[in-house]
Amino acid sequence: MAVYRRGYDRYQGPITGRLSRLLVLPKYSWRHVLQQRFVVSLLVLAMFYPLGCIGFVYLSNHVELLSDFGSGIEDFLQIDGNFFLIFMNVQGVCALVLTVVSGQKLIAPDLSNGALQLYFSRPLSRAEYVLSRLLVLLGLLSLITWIPGLLIFSLQWGMAGWKWFAQNWNLGLGVFIGSLLWILLISLIALTCWAYIRRKIMAELAILWTFFALNAVSEIVNNVLDVTWASFFNPRQVVDQIWNGLLGITPESGRAVLGCWLAVLVMTAVLLAVLRRKLRPVEVIS
Amino acid sequence: MNTTPIIELQDLRVRLGQQEILQGISCRLGVSGTGKAIGLLGPNGAGKSTLILTLLGFHKIFDGNARVLGLDCHSHSRDIKARIGYMPENEAFIADMTAVHFLRIMGELSGLPQRIALEKAHEVLFHVGLGEARYRTLGTYSLGMKQMAKLAQSILHGPEVLILDEPTNGLDPAARLRMLKLIREMKEEHNMNVVLCSHLLRDVEEVCDEVMILNEGHLVHQANLEEERHTNRRFIELEVTGDDGELAEALQKQGAEGVSEGNGRWRIVFPPGMELDVLWRLVARQNLAIHHLTHRRDSLEEIFLKAVGHLERSEQSHPEPPEKETAHGRL
Repeated sequence: MAVYRRGYDRYQGPITGRLSRLLVLPKYSWRHVLQQRFVVSLLVLAMFYPLGCIGFVYLSNHVELLSDFGSGIEDFLQIDGNFFLIFMNVQGVCALVLTVVSGQKLIAPDLSNGALQLYFSRPLSRAEYVLSRLLVLLGLLSLITWIPGLLIFSLQWGMAGWKWFAQNWNLGLGVFIGSLLWILLISLIALTCWAYIRRKIMAELAILWTFFALNAVSEIVNNVLDVTWASFFNPRQVVDQIWNGLLGITPESGRAVLGCWLAVLVMTAVLLAVLRRKLRPVEVIS
Repeated sequence: MNTTPIIELQDLRVRLGQQEILQGISCRLGVSGTGKAIGLLGPNGAGKSTLILTLLGFHKIFDGNARVLGLDCHSHSRDIKARIGYMPENEAFIADMTAVHFLRIMGELSGLPQRIALEKAHEVLFHVGLGEARYRTLGTYSLGMKQMAKLAQSILHGPEVLILDEPTNGLDPAARLRMLKLIREMKEEHNMNVVLCSHLLRDVEEVCDEVMILNEGHLVHQANLEEERHTNRRFIELEVTGDDGELAEALQKQGAEGVSEGNGRWRIVFPPGMELDVLWRLVARQNLAIHHLTHRRDSLEEIFLKAVGHLERSEQSHPEPPEKETAHGRL
């Protein structure tokens, strides 16, 4: 680093564009997150299942290698909606764990010492701030969800050919949209928890508790009142139904997938509204 | 010639909850690009910070209009923020981040290219006196250092308007002087327009060219301090011994106006451009001995107290001569 002049010159050169400014916070946050060994270890661990899936895809396209196991092996090695549903479930759990451990530093420090005032006194809106923080998590979680999912899909497409693609193109789309939906929902829940709870451990527990508690409450309401609509309040079940719909698998219960989409939409809107309320440059006490 | 005011308010009303904090303020302050400072004064709860936060787009305007550099605070908030630097009154930093890193991020968010943001972060930290501590985390800084770091982040990107909310809060005398020197430097050497919000009249008096006084959400006084200072120099209070019978005529010949109050006391109004030497010569020619000579001085404190109503109450209990009221009549 050069030795800098001790004077001050007012900068009057060109300024960067809006997109570039939007990516400033994610850029430094990614750098910070990826400096944490625990997070990197989790990322590596979360790659094991996709690697296994790649092996599975290879074998399903080279059944002759397993001819010793008998003729039933062909039925087992099917790359279909169920295969991708299991993939999304496994990676979805990994994404939740990674979210819990990696994102605490995203919002809490900004709120602790009033840095939001400085962010918002610059050309950065509240919506852009939330988006930039979301991008950190979405980028990180994409590495273990839809990106490997689409790689596996592409690999299968490459090995099985266009005929398979013509019959199963919805699987790729389903993996992409379904994974994105899940990581968006857990990122929003996590950001909301971190915005309201400053203590790391409490915030982490709150994120996990949100899923367990909503699951438990919806099950209790369903059983006590003998209804099914309470499941719309369970993000895990709602997303699961949407995944089933996207991957062309018949849902186990009769709940409409459209209802689940609406439920996710409402959850997202509520979380964004709660975040918007909290992430203000100044607190107004009236 | 650019005559765009720095701040232009038209019947500005701002409500927080059910309470109307700013109650119909209208004014035009400063001219952009002139390197002048505007002081925002008022007692606690007058609405100073609310006004600043409204200009920054943090509070919604209930009615009326507010413009900064000719741009509407509501519809052009982003454009305004790109051209201003803001130093908040309260703590504003990220505790576990080094000063250089923090400023670099702030610079990039303001639109500085990555490399320049890093250079500027170093440069500005040295300039405000935090060069040696620039790799320390902000959480370890003293209150004075935090104030300087806040100033550094506000000037980093070379804004046209610098909005400073209580910049000398918590500073020791030496640090306060340094802060005021830096602020003066920003306006005089770097041609930045400064909006200084402070309850310390002396700070405003030392730095500002214009002043706006708020009280209970109203604009109670707006003055050009430069003109006030200039005008004040024209009023003289004189006390002499000897025969002063011809002094009034002698003053009139010089274009000045003198009113005798008896017992050798005079109140004199100089015409523009007339210097004090003329009076010394006149008095000497008439063999008068000067006992007392003062410029009548409307200090900012006096202006402030009058504007917020305190002085009127005290003047009512101890009435002043009517001439003095006339002399202060500009307010």
